[in-house]
Amino acid sequence: MKDKRKNKEFSEDGVKIHTAPERRIIEKLHQEIAGSKKTEREAQGSREFAESIINTVREPLISLDQDLRVVAVSRSFYEFFKVKPEETVGQLIYDLGNKQWDIPRLRELLETILPQKTTFDNYEVEHDFATIGRRIMLLNARQIERVLGKERIILLAIEDITERREIEKGLEKTRKELEVIKKSADEVSEFSESVINTVREPLISLDQDLRVVTVSRSFYECFKVKPEETVGQLIYDLGNKQWDIPKLRELLETILPQKTTFDNYEVEHNFSTIGRRIMLLNARQIERGTGKERIILLAIEDITERREIEKGLEKTHKELQDLAVELKRTTRAKSEFLANMSHELRTPLNSINGFSEILYDETFGPLNGVQKEYVNFVLTSGKHLLLLINQILDMSKVEAGKMQLTLSDLPLKSILNEISLLVADMVSKKKLQILLEIAEDLPNIEADELRVKEILYNLLSNAVKFTPEGGKIGMRAKQTDSEIEIVVWDTGVGIAPENMEKIFEGFFRVDTPYSRITEGTGLGLPIAKKLVELHGGNFSVLSEGLGKGTQVRFSLPIRSKKAV
Amino acid sequence: MKKRALIVDDNGNNLRMEKDLLEVAGFEVFLARDASSGIAMAKKEKPDVIVMDVRLPDMRGSEAARILREDKDTSDIPIVFVTASVMAEGKEEIKNITNSGFIGKPINTRNFAKEINRFIK
Repeated sequence: MKDKRKNKEFSEDGVKIHTAPERRIIEKLHQEIAGSKKTEREAQGSREFAESIINTVREPLISLDQDLRVVAVSRSFYEFFKVKPEETVGQLIYDLGNKQWDIPRLRELLETILPQKTTFDNYEVEHDFATIGRRIMLLNARQIERVLGKERIILLAIEDITERREIEKGLEKTRKELEVIKKSADEVSEFSESVINTVREPLISLDQDLRVVTVSRSFYECFKVKPEETVGQLIYDLGNKQWDIPKLRELLETILPQKTTFDNYEVEHNFSTIGRRIMLLNARQIERGTGKERIILLAIEDITERREIEKGLEKTHKELQDLAVELKRTTRAKSEFLANMSHELRTPLNSINGFSEILYDETFGPLNGVQKEYVNFVLTSGKHLLLLINQILDMSKVEAGKMQLTLSDLPLKSILNEISLLVADMVSKKKLQILLEIAEDLPNIEADELRVKEILYNLLSNAVKFTPEGGKIGMRAKQTDSEIEIVVWDTGVGIAPENMEKIFEGFFRVDTPYSRITEGTGLGLPIAKKLVELHGGNFSVLSEGLGKGTQVRFSLPIRSKKAV
Repeated sequence: MKKRALIVDDNGNNLRMEKDLLEVAGFEVFLARDASSGIAMAKKEKPDVIVMDVRLPDMRGSEAARILREDKDTSDIPIVFVTASVMAEGKEEIKNITNSGFIGKPINTRNFAKEINRFIK
């Protein structure tokens, strides 16, 4: 907006001329006194001067007499307020344009303020004109003494600041919007920065000259570089030119110019600070929000550890395969070994047991008492050794899953009685009492006859072995649902709580003065347990402690759960 | 007339024990320490029963049995394998040989002769 004060001038005779509108009025005055020769020359000069000013002034100007009637009006006033000279000059200002100018604030200025002050600047008036709509105007008023006569005139310069206000308002709004935009831009950049810094993958952005623009915190951490030696540097120069990697050059200089996106570009490089690293590079070319410049965003994933894990996995997988092959081989070797061992041990045992039996039987002539006693020791030891060999083989077979059951319909009741008779000799020798409680209605069961007999014999012979003379042993059998429950009990040495686990490990011999003289392999119980389980039954041993006797409880399904 | 038995075993102790047990039981006994001489002896003597070890120095007892079965002179002679290979694998090897039996070592001296007798018709 043009500042009227710029036009402030002084005429040659020192008359102060304030504004262009004033000059217009002055010109009018000059016209009025045109007849006065005394001032003609002077007036002529002023008129020309005032005219030239009026031609350059765009603000509407109006001059009023003391009755507030229009004396003169500038052309721009007519244009601006869409009024005609004939309906303007001589009119009361308030009546102009169908009384559009009857504005309370204008009345206040003209009737109250101006009579007291000769000058009033920037008096703001807002008014809704019927012809030109709502306008905001700045009024500058001057009371000027007419050069001739004592009358005064009021010079009113009207500056329409409606547009300026709107522009100012618009500017204010724009400024506020800019603030919001700037704030959200800040937020966006803060957000993207926080994203960049939150991402564990090192990120680096480069300009078109491959100089570093920004770097994520994780980049600094991962590659042990400092911000001050990074930003603005050529990427290849980073960390003492550690980044001058041929494969990276290829990606940035050859591949990216042709493609805007490149994923999982694998680069292996030996960094002097952090050693050999395998990285997956993901690159994007991004247009900058403003300007046509592109930046390159480079995400670096360190897959060194992952590769090592993969390699390790591969190695482990290979080792497992080798191990599986080796396991098959050793399993076969173990079976072969067991078969060989069994054969090799039996061959000398055949001589030991066979010949001592022939001697004991006195097939080729009588022995004296001591000879017979001693050869019986040989025979008994040989038979014990044979039992050991057989039980070790059984254990090995069960553990290798090679024990095959030959199932048949077994008359369990008679088998229980049969086995109890087998131990009858031992029972009577030790003066034990044996109690059998076998349910009358005990059904037949589907099981392996030899193995069931082995289970029962092992348990009953254990009961005999571990019960001191005069004690009691017993066996109970009854049906419970689809199973037969059998309990073999004794009043013998019992089992200490701390040995409850050990008794199933094999070769465990309860360490009591009594047990030392007891024959056995320590394999009878674990084999019995495994054979019961092989039949699909449960097996448990109960003892309240040393000297409190033992109860072995097991079950056998009536119908085998195993497919035959 | 005495029953006649051929014992084929490379182990001298076994040969001696089985010979004693069978002789005490009234057998006439022939001995061979390997398969080929056993086969020759069988063709020559035509015993009532052949008692044979499975592991022999020149061939497996099962192989010797196959040769004996293919020869019409010996194809009908019962064969009783006396073997320390009592595990499943050992039994598998001889289960398809006709007119044959199995006694595991160590042998029961008290019923050995009776067992052998069962195989003679």
